[in-house]
Amino acid sequence: MFGRSTYDYDDDGFRRCSVTGLDIHRSAEDMVKLYGLTAILALAVGGVFAVFVALTRWEVVGLLSPGDFYTYLSIHAWNLLIFWMVFMEIAILYVGGPFVLGRKLALPSLAKAGYVAMLAGAVTVNAAIWLTSYPNNAPLLTSYVPLESSWQFYLGALVFVLGAIVAALPFFATMWREKRENPNATLPLVAFGAFATSIIAFEALVGGVLTYGPALLWRLEILATLDSAFYRQMYWIIGHGSQQINLLAMITVWYFITHVVGGAEVASQKVSRTAFVLYIFFINMGAAHHLMSDPVVSTGWRMWNTSYAAYGAVLASMIHAFAIPAGLEAGRRAKGKGGGLFGWLWSGPWDDPGFSATILSIVLFGFLGGITGVMMGQMQLNMTWHNTLAVPGHFHATVATGTTLAFMGLGYYVLRLVFGREWSLGPIAKIQPFLYGGAMGVTVVMMMYAGVLFGVPRRHPTVMDIPGTEFSFEAAAPFFAIFGVGALVSIVGGALFVVVALATLFTGDEFEGGPVGDLSRTVADGGGSDHEPVHEQSMRGTFVLTLVFFATFVVLTALNWYLLSNIWGIGP
Amino acid sequence: MDSPLDEPEGNWWDEAVNRRETLWIALSAGWALSLFGWMIGWTEFGDQNNVGQTYSITPDEFQTKVADFKDRAEDTERGLVPADEDVYVGALQWGWDGLPVVLEAGETYRFHLGSYDVQHGFSVRNEENLSQQMSLQILPDYEWVVEMEFDEPSTYHVVCNEFCGNGHRSMHSTIHVEG
Ligand code: HEM
Ligand SMILES: [Cu+2]
Repeated sequence: MFGRSTYDYDDDGFRRCSVTGLDIHRSAEDMVKLYGLTAILALAVGGVFAVFVALTRWEVVGLLSPGDFYTYLSIHAWNLLIFWMVFMEIAILYVGGPFVLGRKLALPSLAKAGYVAMLAGAVTVNAAIWLTSYPNNAPLLTSYVPLESSWQFYLGALVFVLGAIVAALPFFATMWREKRENPNATLPLVAFGAFATSIIAFEALVGGVLTYGPALLWRLEILATLDSAFYRQMYWIIGHGSQQINLLAMITVWYFITHVVGGAEVASQKVSRTAFVLYIFFINMGAAHHLMSDPVVSTGWRMWNTSYAAYGAVLASMIHAFAIPAGLEAGRRAKGKGGGLFGWLWSGPWDDPGFSATILSIVLFGFLGGITGVMMGQMQLNMTWHNTLAVPGHFHATVATGTTLAFMGLGYYVLRLVFGREWSLGPIAKIQPFLYGGAMGVTVVMMMYAGVLFGVPRRHPTVMDIPGTEFSFEAAAPFFAIFGVGALVSIVGGALFVVVALATLFTGDEFEGGPVGDLSRTVADGGGSDHEPVHEQSMRGTFVLTLVFFATFVVLTALNWYLLSNIWGIGP
Repeated sequence: MDSPLDEPEGNWWDEAVNRRETLWIALSAGWALSLFGWMIGWTEFGDQNNVGQTYSITPDEFQTKVADFKDRAEDTERGLVPADEDVYVGALQWGWDGLPVVLEAGETYRFHLGSYDVQHGFSVRNEENLSQQMSLQILPDYEWVVEMEFDEPSTYHVVCNEFCGNGHRSMHSTIHVEG
């Protein structure tokens, strides 16, 4: 597809990847290219709008008028959080299923139909937002009823969601055929992760139908009213559920890339798989943490869902947080690639953007995104985070930094292993993950400071100048200055990824194959039995790192509770 | 070799788990339980809990209640002095009905939060110390009653932090707490 690949297929349409050893069928590969490139296109669109959004919130520049700000913010959010992520995730399902299992893509026509529907939905949503006019409002990400957005917007969202459901079916069908032909085989871990992702995706997308279906009927005046509390609950099944898809897809990519590029092994199949199962059972409860400072839902409901139940998912994340670096540590120690406590890490192929993007993704996601998510998921602490700029700070740490970096890392390998092209602009590719990750790290921390320490609201174009009052958030201005610079640098970092990807596609040399990173997977596999089992390798470096993470977690949680305890008395 | 891309070999379920990995899982599970316990405990021992009764009510009925509250309150230059411990806040596009109010430090008030139109955010902060701040969601068709007791005399600024249309940024009012 696109004629930009350098690979040939055999008569059955298969080829063997010289790096991963996977047997890849053309039917799956074509779709991975199609969905992957569309995702990158959405990233570019959303990134352009990030410029306007960031330069408006940095009020020294104050680029857009308030009305325009909401329109641009909506387009930014939908293209990045929804279109970039979901197109990429369908590609990941097709890698995790057909690629890893060495199968054709089942029901390929549904993959195409799903693509057409998703694309039509995405274009409709963008057009509807852009053309919003009175009495309709920009939907932002959440389009909370009863504030009206245009019916075309709800229609586009519904079509997109339905398209994504259709696009997931070929993955399920591939899995089904695999199981029928090999009933006793165990799925490889990456395929298992993709399967867990798809189940959660399915739940989320059903939530999407329950959100946008009724909302569309309400806007077409077929339903007279739509309860705002009902909408919020349904909305967050997809709104948060789609974040769980991002999370699982990202973790699957972490296992994949650390293995292919860094030589990681699976520290314990049992533990990692159990963690994925925990997600299937518990992660949807996480959706409730958006309703922590809401009326209507009872205290018991909130506490049960966000804590008792959601901690099943937090536990799963903590398990992966250990298992993935531990797999890397054990795998590299076994291959003589690491002495001392952290030798396995420092000696890694840091000049490989697939590797550096993945490691940065793991670290930044955990420290900045994971910890803050658990904190604001505690019912009382939520009051100090709810709807402040700290919330976008949190999810720019998770999706915009962690997941986006992981998908960029994967993207680099799609260019090599799927399109068969060596990266053009190599030196830029090498620094790109550091530039994007580093600047995003600074940007999100500033957003969190402004939100929690100054109570600066989110979705607000002029906090330094509020019409009709002397009061303003002037005190937070220095934080906004750092935020503004960080945002600009991170946008440059993100743009460089798109530039390298396009340059590679159009001018990249043929990828020679052979070892990537600093280890050959095929050699590593060949040497299967000549070292001790993985679990007997030392994992002391990882243990130290996770203890640092744990200490940070405890200290930040304590600080947040301390801040909360300084507020006036609230509640009974 | 235990690759995530291949079918695991042998009886992987009974494969031993590294001692440090087991320790980490135990530590994580303990932490999750502590967080849960702390949250429950805070409802008993803590002074900040976003907890209160919700009632269904139409926007019109709620507006009548706010009007009644304003009638009974004493009108002063700085704002309304409530007749009793009930304070009614009606959020609307784009303003705060029932505010500004003048309250007494150390008294417990029952805030009745509701909306006349769309969703809004009741976001309050102490002018002397902006990090003393909190937010509660306001939904149309519901009245949420949350108690508040301000200890420090100061001016507390209220802004809306749920997007509610183009005038959203202009929603501002105050709560004056006097000693
Ligand atoms: C290039 C770097 C980026 C910068 C500088 C940036 C900046 C911002 C800023 C300043 C806001 C507005 C916050 C507010 O006023 O409430 C925002 C909102 C948002 N951004 Fe980004 N962003 C970036 C990348 C991303 C990415 C990669 C994603 C998703 C994967 C993303 C998803 C969102 C979403 C969902 C919103 C919230 C919209 C809403 O409130 O409905 N952003 N971004
Ligand atoms: Cu508002």
